[in-house]
Amino acid sequence: MNEVKIKSNNLNVFYGDKQALFDVNLDLNEKEVTALIGPSGCGKSTFIRCINRMNDVIDICKVTGNIEIDGVEINDENLDVVSLRERVGMVFQKPNPFPKSIYDNISYGPKIHGKGETKSELDEIVERSLKKAALWEEVKDRLDEPGTGLSGGQQQRLCIARAISVNPEVILMDEPCSALDPIATAKIEELIDELKKTYTIVIVTHSMAQAVRVSQKTGFFHLGKLIEVGKTEKIFKNPDNKMTQDYITGRFG
Amino acid sequence: MTKEQRLKKRHSAERRFRLYGIASICVALLFVLILVNNIFSKGSSAFMKTVIDVEVFYDPELIEIENGASEENIREADFYDITIETLLKSYPTKNLDEENELIDLFTTDAEIEIKKAFLENNNLIGKKINLEITSSDDIDQLHKGNYPRDLPEDRRRISNFQLKIYDTLVENNKINKNFNNYYFNNGDSRDPELAGIGGALVGSFYSIIICLLLAFPVAILASIYLEEFAPKNKITDFIEININNLAAVPSIVYGLLALQILLATIQLPRSTPLVAGITLALMTLPRIIIPCRASLKAVPPSIREGALAVGASKFQSVFHHVVPLSLPGTLSGTIIGLAQALGETAPLILIGMVAFVVDIPSTPIDPSSSLPVQVYLWSESAERGFVEKTSATIMMLLSFLIVMNFIAVYLRQKFEKRWN
Repeated sequence: MNEVKIKSNNLNVFYGDKQALFDVNLDLNEKEVTALIGPSGCGKSTFIRCINRMNDVIDICKVTGNIEIDGVEINDENLDVVSLRERVGMVFQKPNPFPKSIYDNISYGPKIHGKGETKSELDEIVERSLKKAALWEEVKDRLDEPGTGLSGGQQQRLCIARAISVNPEVILMDEPCSALDPIATAKIEELIDELKKTYTIVIVTHSMAQAVRVSQKTGFFHLGKLIEVGKTEKIFKNPDNKMTQDYITGRFG
Repeated sequence: MTKEQRLKKRHSAERRFRLYGIASICVALLFVLILVNNIFSKGSSAFMKTVIDVEVFYDPELIEIENGASEENIREADFYDITIETLLKSYPTKNLDEENELIDLFTTDAEIEIKKAFLENNNLIGKKINLEITSSDDIDQLHKGNYPRDLPEDRRRISNFQLKIYDTLVENNKINKNFNNYYFNNGDSRDPELAGIGGALVGSFYSIIICLLLAFPVAILASIYLEEFAPKNKITDFIEININNLAAVPSIVYGLLALQILLATIQLPRSTPLVAGITLALMTLPRIIIPCRASLKAVPPSIREGALAVGASKFQSVFHHVVPLSLPGTLSGTIIGLAQALGETAPLILIGMVAFVVDIPSTPIDPSSSLPVQVYLWSESAERGFVEKTSATIMMLLSFLIVMNFIAVYLRQKFEKRWN
């Protein structure tokens, strides 16, 4: 068992009057893939958006409780979200490359964090990130073409490369394969397997099969509550909770 | 009703609707065609002027200066006698009345034209040259066929004697049509053949530049702040509603506002492009803010999230990604706002731009006219020459508007990025 990287403690999230998360206590281990499953609207995306404070963008959203990364509280008004997001990267449901060149998509993050001072340093970061995202071979000859011109699966890998480019510790993935075909999905899953050697990964998914394939730990959410969490094998073979059992066997969802 | 009947009814409803649509487009096109045809048929002749070929003899007896005189001396010299002599030579006359009628065939600026020819070629003393002197407005209109010559003499501006001279001149090929340089280079004038849109063009140009410099940065900053940074609460809602209201305020109200504040209170110089620019900027501001906000809103939120997720600050995500992506829409909105401002007349009338200004303004604080106001001024004048000038100026104004709108559409189509 790896060390705990992220720890949430009585996390509550409100959208206006509506409460989206209820007292979530969830530990996420370092260099491991944690999958969050559950029916639509159960709060799993809301939970991962708390980890990089993306909920700040939504005016009516209010977060109470604690989230710690490496023992440091991040749900703190004085915390600099910019440096938090440098450490916690995110990949979204729909591929959202910037409408710029492939090169600029990757180099943007390092540039704003002052990580690549010279052109050669940036070139190196771009190459390394694209290689890590298993995209280098496909795009190395057309780095100046727009990122939006790639196929859906390539765009999503580009977004993963963009997240990797600033060298984060954690990568959050919000249903990264929901807009992709099975072949592209397989590639992303392979990639996740590879990435977990370096990064702590949290993935939200609707596909139970995907959770089984990629994750070591699984959390099941329902109606804003964390119902059950444990080793992926155990959750899918022998869950403690009746509701988890019903969900994974497809009785509701 | 059977299934077939229902289906038939549905199809015929669709056909009917298409027919209505085509019919309304045809009606709209017909009106545009009538308007354009009307303006073109009246205005296109204003780009040419009628000239009369005369022989000028720079008689050393009549001229006050000598060969090689400095330019300044020539400018100050009197060319009146030579001019009269030249004009009278163009047709034999018997008495003073006839002489006056003959001289009336030429523009009042004939002396200036003769002096100009002398200036351009500074050793003409004692020499004869052929020169094309601009005709008076009456001859100009007669020659262009805008003037009925079958009216009785007492109801015509041109006498029988003048008609006789004209016919003789035409017979001798002495009357020609040239490009009307006065129309583009001159300011306003009481004489239609000398009146031009030069002053109005420069005045409109200064006004629009000042309007752009004031309205564009303010509108951009206001819309970026409101769209990206401002909290959504009652105050911003109130501001939003009022921006929409301001865009709908009749322009004459802005004119009144400028009259009271800019002219009466601050005492800026009246009739100037400076005041016009400020007034137009006030009017254009909400009309630019609205399309700017719309184009910022059109940038998908996923772009903002993508930037934020790699650790860009709010400011960086807005200025590195959202604003550049919204730029095509922003710029085309601005240009369309400026095109509206260019055609605005009412507020300019109130701030005194209707003044009769002969000089072409050299700075934005000189009194000036503007294109739409020039149209308004000339449309009220009685002389026939101003009718064609009015239409020609409308043509100029419309072509500026068409060019600006074309640029706006071009910018939007060329630079608009597509996401996914």
